[in-house]
Amino acid sequence: MAHDGLEPQRVARVVAALAAGEADPQRSLCRASARVVGVHSAGVVLILRGHALGTVCASDPVAESIEESQFTLGEGPCVDAFSSREPVLVPDLAGAGGVRWPSFRERAIAEGVQAVFGFPLLVGPTCIGALNLYNQRSGMLTDDQVADAATVAHVAGRTVLSWQSVAGEGSLAWQLEHVPAHRAVVHQATGMLSVQMAVDVDDALIMLRAYAFAEGRPITAVSDDVVAGALRFDDDASGATLG
Amino acid sequence: MTREQVLVETFVGLADTLVDDYDIIDFMQTLAERCVELLDVSAAGIMLVDPDGTLRHTACSSEQMRLVELLELQLEEGPCFDAFRSRAAVVCESPEEAATRWPRFAPRAQESGFVAVSAVPMRLRAEVIGALNLFSSGAACLSDDDLGVAQAMADIATIGILQERVIRDRNAVAARLELALESRVAIEQAKGIVAEHQKTDVDRAFDLIRRFTRSHNRLLSETARQIVEGTITPADLVATSP
Repeated sequence: MAHDGLEPQRVARVVAALAAGEADPQRSLCRASARVVGVHSAGVVLILRGHALGTVCASDPVAESIEESQFTLGEGPCVDAFSSREPVLVPDLAGAGGVRWPSFRERAIAEGVQAVFGFPLLVGPTCIGALNLYNQRSGMLTDDQVADAATVAHVAGRTVLSWQSVAGEGSLAWQLEHVPAHRAVVHQATGMLSVQMAVDVDDALIMLRAYAFAEGRPITAVSDDVVAGALRFDDDASGATLG
Repeated sequence: MTREQVLVETFVGLADTLVDDYDIIDFMQTLAERCVELLDVSAAGIMLVDPDGTLRHTACSSEQMRLVELLELQLEEGPCFDAFRSRAAVVCESPEEAATRWPRFAPRAQESGFVAVSAVPMRLRAEVIGALNLFSSGAACLSDDDLGVAQAMADIATIGILQERVIRDRNAVAARLELALESRVAIEQAKGIVAEHQKTDVDRAFDLIRRFTRSHNRLLSETARQIVEGTITPADLVATSP
């Protein structure tokens, strides 16, 4: 009776657990996800064309910070899970498995995270993002936890789409309004930089990311400075150095 | 298998529909057959409302012509129609009451050998999508327990059917989600481009973009995309502003 390896009883159990969350649909999705699988933190992100990230929710400040890092750096388990459409399991971030994303690894470990697991949000053949799970101690998930996590990702993907399915044509679901809103300043800064550097917006974002990484600052903070006019990328006097 | 085992298996099978693609016609067929098995009725049929709001026969426990016809007959009158409209179960009436209540349907049902007819609505919260018809050649009406089981099966079937529609639409919805998010990104990028070019702040830049959009009768997202692509320049925006 299983489809795509998902068992109906497991789906029912996961749905019940997620539905028992708080009134805020986004928060409850993440907190309940962490609880159901039995990990420390969880984050759900939407990924478009492999590079535009938006956080649907994060279960706590640690998850929030890590999602921010993945967005700033453009690398991490969720990016890989999205591209490969397969779970990305790294039970020991400090070990060899974390080498894939050296910058992300550094940031995550600094936040106290020792293990990361990314599951693609698959709705049929379509991948719309990823579910990120984090633990503060190293160790692999049990088979049961992996199955639960895949189920949660499945349900989360369906949930996000169900929110969007009732939104009007051309509109964004109200439950997802905060996703682009949170990054608005980053996109504004990208636009400004594209003019300052005479490059297209994709390259401008890469430059913005590189600068944020070099400075060790979150990309949103750097973007705030750009939009405020305090930081320009075409003026040596402001100190912005880009190779 | 005991009745309880059949019941559990039916419910688990119905829950299966929540998981992934499945054959909806086959599913409804199975549901109708299980009703006959579990509820001691002679025949069961499912009618679903089409986009025009008309009830249509969708599946029944046997392909007997008389059953199909009885279901078809219920477009305007009958237990199925009543259950759909009232959103409540319709328990069988005595033959006399049935004849009064459904003057066209009742005689046909009788002719076909069905003495007791009932129906439960297929609903999920505010949405009623049809009704489940139960026909019996015996005079005994459904017990409260059986009616409860019938309603529960109808409810799960409704979820399955609504879910199937969502599955069919999911690629379209995913595409709309992507478009909606990308539009937001483009709008913010366009604000930045115009703000930098015009040496102004992003709010004023947004005003310029909106004014242009209105005067050219376009969509904001469309204009934003063109600004990002470069087919509309910030200078174009200013040219149309007072």
